[in-house]
Amino acid sequence: MLRAVGRRLARAGAVVFGAATLAFAALQLLPGDPVAVMLGPATSASPQVREQIRVDFGFDEPVPVRYLHYLGDLVTGDLGRSYQLQQPVTTLIEEQLWPTVQLVAASVTLAVVIAVVSAVVTAGRRSALRAVVTLAELVALSTPQFWLGIVLLTVFSFRLNLFPVAGAQDLTALVLPAVTLALPVAGVLAQVLREGIETALEQPFVVAARARGRSRIGVRLRHAVRHAAAPLLTLTGWVTGSLLGGAVLVETVFGRPGLGSLLLQAVSSRDMPVVLGVVLLTATVVAVVFILVDLVQLALDPRLRTAAAL
Amino acid sequence: MRFPRPGRPVARPLRLAVAATLAAGLLLTACGSDDDPAPGAAGTGTGTAEKPVAGGSVTYAIDTEPTCFDIHVSPQDITAAIQRNVFDSLVAEDESGKFHPWLASSWETSPDLKSYTFKLRQDVTFTDGTRFDAAAVKANFDHIKAPTTKSRYAASLLGSYTGTDVVDEFTARVNFAQPFAPFLQAASTAYLGFYSPKTLTADADKLCGGGPVAVGTGPFTFTSYTKGQSIVLTKNPAYSWAPATAKHTGAAYLDTLTIRILKENSTRIGSLTSGQIDVAGAVPPANVAAVEANGRLQVLRRDAAGSPYSLYLNTTLAPFTDERVRVAFQRGLNIDQDVKTVYFGQYKRSWSPLTAVTPSYDKSLENSWPYDPAKANQLLDEAGWTGRDADGYRTRDGRRLTVAWPIIPATVREQRDVLGQAFQEDLKKIGIELTRPSLDAGTYLKEAYAGKYAVLDFSWARFEPDVLRLFFHSASALAGGGQNAAFVKDPEVDTWTTTGAGTFDEKVRDDVYGRTQQRVVKIGAVVPVYTPSSILAAGKHVHGIAFDTNAWPLFYDAWRDRK
Repeated sequence: MLRAVGRRLARAGAVVFGAATLAFAALQLLPGDPVAVMLGPATSASPQVREQIRVDFGFDEPVPVRYLHYLGDLVTGDLGRSYQLQQPVTTLIEEQLWPTVQLVAASVTLAVVIAVVSAVVTAGRRSALRAVVTLAELVALSTPQFWLGIVLLTVFSFRLNLFPVAGAQDLTALVLPAVTLALPVAGVLAQVLREGIETALEQPFVVAARARGRSRIGVRLRHAVRHAAAPLLTLTGWVTGSLLGGAVLVETVFGRPGLGSLLLQAVSSRDMPVVLGVVLLTATVVAVVFILVDLVQLALDPRLRTAAAL
Repeated sequence: MRFPRPGRPVARPLRLAVAATLAAGLLLTACGSDDDPAPGAAGTGTGTAEKPVAGGSVTYAIDTEPTCFDIHVSPQDITAAIQRNVFDSLVAEDESGKFHPWLASSWETSPDLKSYTFKLRQDVTFTDGTRFDAAAVKANFDHIKAPTTKSRYAASLLGSYTGTDVVDEFTARVNFAQPFAPFLQAASTAYLGFYSPKTLTADADKLCGGGPVAVGTGPFTFTSYTKGQSIVLTKNPAYSWAPATAKHTGAAYLDTLTIRILKENSTRIGSLTSGQIDVAGAVPPANVAAVEANGRLQVLRRDAAGSPYSLYLNTTLAPFTDERVRVAFQRGLNIDQDVKTVYFGQYKRSWSPLTAVTPSYDKSLENSWPYDPAKANQLLDEAGWTGRDADGYRTRDGRRLTVAWPIIPATVREQRDVLGQAFQEDLKKIGIELTRPSLDAGTYLKEAYAGKYAVLDFSWARFEPDVLRLFFHSASALAGGGQNAAFVKDPEVDTWTTTGAGTFDEKVRDDVYGRTQQRVVKIGAVVPVYTPSSILAAGKHVHGIAFDTNAWPLFYDAWRDRK
């Protein structure tokens, strides 16, 4: 098992390094003079100030030198200083990390719970309930989050005053954004899981289990879900990663701080150190989440425990 | 504060068929709204008939988050608007353009306008206990001008600053290399506000991040900043040096002012109608009527000063090298109707490269160049663009009459892209093709600033006609930090705008700035479009919000009903 973890960690390291390098390269390819972009169109910076910025941020150095500096700083845990916000990137990310972790954790948990309940209850049944639930899932997964967020806000905050409109001050403020993010995700996860369960329910082992006297629901929970869990886990891992920096629409609607807003602001003002920092963090988290997903799958499914996988 | 009854939800186009059932439910409940049909408060400024009471807090939601809170560095309006509550200036300017004492109790100007001597108030202290004196003035101005500060705006407000002499403890003489009449106006802005000298020594590199390091002399202190969420300002109880432009003296009425960052319009307005916040900034024109119809809310507004939202026509790029084509472009735009339609009648159309509230505004330009497609067609015929191609656009020597106006989609605001579409339709009618290439910020700055596009658009808020020099003086090149987006090279315009910057004589200023406004419109270098307006909505329990000359809300005089 230790060896399995070690190998996966090494692979994750390579992924993070690749992401760091690709992000750096992509930012170099953006057109325009970085100083001019930083300053933006409405500015009255003098040529001296422009020169000072060029020197301060090392824009006067050749790209390979800057790349080596960048890698060197990364190794020592220094993500540099934001051009626009003029603060250390690590401080900025630390500030935004907690609200994001709260939101992502809450919405992924909620989505998985909804998906499992709805899939287990309705899989393999030709009932009206199944039709209604499936339709609801389809609507949920095709509803734009932006719109869903505004509808939830209008109903539950503006009219019913049940939840504060926005912010990250306490847990009540987390409910609406978490639901907004969770519903479409739950729709996708439920469909995948139901399909998996239905395939599993047709397998001979189900008949065998039923013959041993297991109840219908018992078979579903003990056997079918286990079989269907692999794609669900992979998808959940992927969703977690994408929500980290990708919850920006929901953050905007609900006026929440978070990594998504930080990233958006950084990309549009070409704040390279911040972009690189957030990309690197996301890459690291995704790599770690996938290691966990992998290990959980190994634990769930003995068939996967081959020499190659370990 | 919570209102007893739920507010009227803000109407927003509900676009999705999938959601039809949900939407129908919402609309039904909306019909049950029971607001009084009382009209909103008229004019600017909240009602002050009652006697102000001190205490309580107000939550004010804004739509833009400052990237940098350092007034000496950032060029952002929102930074100055927030920090105006925390930082004071040497002088204060009233709506008529007259200057009043503030941190300076009096001042003298040398006859050549190259040096200004300020006698400072002797009772002013920063909120860290440091005394405000001539050395503090010098430390701040020197700090702004130092290249290491990397100032993007404040340094340009100091013009050809050469240094400050500390004449005695409370007398400071500020010197310039060139005559510099706009200095008093510059000195009245928050950008030239004063940090505690201690702050400048110890925390200069932390000022962009806002928060308690930003120590000033203002009516509020900067208590905290949570990025992406809120800014909290707390009353400075020792404050007793308000300018004459304020309505009261002594400490501010409000104990705390919480500024929430709510970027999404419907969230901001919904929070206001449901009573979760007290004041909402940047009310979209589409929502103004609904707010006015709400009996518990009032609308406050003030037009921006400076240069209106305008199109600048590149006088050095064909086909705009021909003045007739530029004027045809100008007269072929149905600005009245387009601005009215896109902004629901909330923004005024502009006639001059200065807005109407700006000093030296030339009123005679109003209605002097109305929509006139017949004249535009005639001018284009005279210029030789007589052919027509298959798409109906004019041609000359087989080439289509086409002009490009680049757009950076990420930075579009105030529905200026929609306005642009209306302009494209207008121009198609007279046979001009207007294209909108989408550019990223980098390409835009590189190519547009090098003069490769025919049309550029800008607005520039400043209560000072010297913006004309910024936009039309031949030395004010885009690439060098200037704003001459029409690439105007007119020796007379250069002389007029330089003369204006070198005198306090109102007659002379009105004359030279009037000539400049007339000239740049006449030669078709600029198409003034509309005057941006600062539109706030507030609960009627909030009183005394005023606007400064830059149309930023001031909370020093603000107070709220106590319940």
